Amino acid sequence: MSLTSLVPLIGIADVVIGLSLGSRLFLIAVGLSLIFGVLGVLNFAHGGFYMLGAYVTLAVVSNVVDNFWVAAVVGALAVGVVGAAIEFSAIRRLYDRVDSDLDQLIVTFGFVLVIHETVRFVWGSGSYSIDPPDVFNFSVTLGGSTFNAYRLVVIGLAVGVLVALWLFITRTYFGSLVRGTSSDREMAAMLGVDVPRLYTGVFFLGSVLAGLGGALSAPLQSTSPALGDQVIIDAFIVVVIGGLGSMSGAFVGAMLIGMMQSLGPQFISAGSIAIPFLAMVIVLLIRPEGLFGGIGE
Amino acid sequence: MVTEDGDTENKYKRADAAETSSERRAPVGRRRFLQAAGAGTAVALAGCSGGGGDGGPVTLGAAYILSGFASLYGEEAERGIEFAVSEINDNGGIDGRDVEVLVRDTEASGDTAIQQIRSLVQEDNVDGLFGLDSSGVAQAVAPQISQLQMPFMITHAATPFVTSPQGEHEDSVGNEYVFRDSNSLAQDVYGAARTAQELDATEWATIGPDYAFGYETWDYFQAYCDGLGVEAEFTAEQFPALATSDYTPFISSILDADPDAVLTPLWGADLTTFIGQAESAGWFDQIDHTLFSVGMGTDLPSDGSPLPEGEYASTRYDPFVPDTEANNSFREAYYEEYGSLPTYNAEGAYRALHLYKEAIESAGSTEPDALVDEFTGMEHSGPVGEYQFTETNQATVSSIWGTVTYDEEWESNVLDPVNRYEAGPDVLSDALGDSDLPTGI
Repeated sequence: MSLTSLVPLIGIADVVIGLSLGSRLFLIAVGLSLIFGVLGVLNFAHGGFYMLGAYVTLAVVSNVVDNFWVAAVVGALAVGVVGAAIEFSAIRRLYDRVDSDLDQLIVTFGFVLVIHETVRFVWGSGSYSIDPPDVFNFSVTLGGSTFNAYRLVVIGLAVGVLVALWLFITRTYFGSLVRGTSSDREMAAMLGVDVPRLYTGVFFLGSVLAGLGGALSAPLQSTSPALGDQVIIDAFIVVVIGGLGSMSGAFVGAMLIGMMQSLGPQFISAGSIAIPFLAMVIVLLIRPEGLFGGIGE
Repeated sequence: MVTEDGDTENKYKRADAAETSSERRAPVGRRRFLQAAGAGTAVALAGCSGGGGDGGPVTLGAAYILSGFASLYGEEAERGIEFAVSEINDNGGIDGRDVEVLVRDTEASGDTAIQQIRSLVQEDNVDGLFGLDSSGVAQAVAPQISQLQMPFMITHAATPFVTSPQGEHEDSVGNEYVFRDSNSLAQDVYGAARTAQELDATEWATIGPDYAFGYETWDYFQAYCDGLGVEAEFTAEQFPALATSDYTPFISSILDADPDAVLTPLWGADLTTFIGQAESAGWFDQIDHTLFSVGMGTDLPSDGSPLPEGEYASTRYDPFVPDTEANNSFREAYYEEYGSLPTYNAEGAYRALHLYKEAIESAGSTEPDALVDEFTGMEHSGPVGEYQFTETNQATVSSIWGTVTYDEEWESNVLDPVNRYEAGPDVLSDALGDSDLPTGI
């Protein structure tokens, strides 16, 4: 844990890398946050969804169609279907139980293991990687530091997802149902909202976002069965910092953690992995509801 | 000779069911097993023999990483084992008895390794043990071996502290039962410092895994540079966690510090991931020299030979040097069998079986203490060359460093030119100068 240097050199690449790490975290954290905000379910399996999105994308791109974007969409949708199936078949049965929180945790944790072992069974326990799509696979050198242009694409897409989600939740009929149901489920049901179907829809959407995060990250990291376990912890930190249930909170929290992951190694040579945890502790002490605490923004 | 696939599969399943968390479950494992069975060997065939009985097979237990980020080491070791088992059994076995090996997965975890090794000794009654890929695992296992009173031949894990007698240094866990037939980190990094001596580079940095192995590599490198009078400044260090999937923040931090050369002990799939991400960050254009201290063990043609040409790498065994009959015939036969050059992990495991053969035949018994007596100070030669076990049970194998060069004939990266540095006790002790680090030999 020695100081690498007293005056770290922070390049533009470090900032771009940080924002791209944040973008990946946003895609997973926003789905986690959305599902919690509406369904009240803390979905442990969300990291597994992210990992599955990366694997399906890799498999499609190398076996079916040699087009990354098609593969990424297939990956995201496939994860959405898996998520919806899990909600429909298992989680739905727990909503009306007394103390259902604990049951939900155990069931979603069970699916973490199921997804992990299924992936290991199908793809083995080694790791895979792919190049970014050709159009964006070139180096950009700015201010003496170099990064891959694909990172800018990931950042742009994350911002696009944030805007699209915000428009969807605030400007569409379905969005108003989601907001209404999240603030009072019984009342929404009495007013004729098909709550179970809406829940499955939200779970599908949240899972698609996690799958998309995995798909878009596949060219930037190595994909192995352990991927989901690593990322779910970061995603939990993001939603705690940003505020559970808040979309803009998830975005700001994700970018903060991404920058900490990128700049941390500049300050300490080992253990920079702990910085986001420290940030989470500080936020919990000072503002326990998170920076953007609240539901249904 | 097992002839029917169905039969083989049943045996595999039985073996699988008999173990608590046993042999590999990935599909590749079964394929490999079928190959093994087809070749008339019985690697990983557990539970059907008590071992040790007169006339029954000699049973050895091995523990390697067979799953996760470093599973390729275990897979290579399995090949070396399979190759040695058929070679020995086709030529009269060990004192007329066949040899069989039970291979277990350590999952790169000390706790798992200890469980597996205990089970090999207590449930499968193995006659001897070998293996281990990770320094961290070896550090945890060594004291247990002393309790189990069973010889253990380490064939890959490199920490010097397992061949440094207990008490020599606060981390030393060496004892009379633990041996190593491959070279240690102290031997390997000595070659790195000798390589550094020849390079036009003054500012050095490292990026290594965040556990003992990463830190020890850097500590020894600095101590050797100091002892050998290498003009070097150590300007940046990064220690990302094992199995990191995205190294870019760490790469970027090293590039910002802009050293002339970097020594990296990253290993397994981590190294392959790192190289890919370093390439796209412009690492190899910016950094003059990168030294990969565990490079060649990971550099498989099936993974696209990831080590960049012109950089430096070490190996614990070179398939072309020494140019001896033993090495050449091993290389040719192995290549014919598997279609790739033997890696050092395959050779280390292969040699462990021959060491056991020699020890058991010489002792005329498989009694653990008799084997320990045989191994102690044993002189041996194999593909790697001639060597001897020192007082600390470390083999006096050379430190081998060279330039990564793609070889069309073997469709593989090789080290060319390659340097072999003698790395015996006196050499290391001199080179460590005033440092309090143990030579481990």
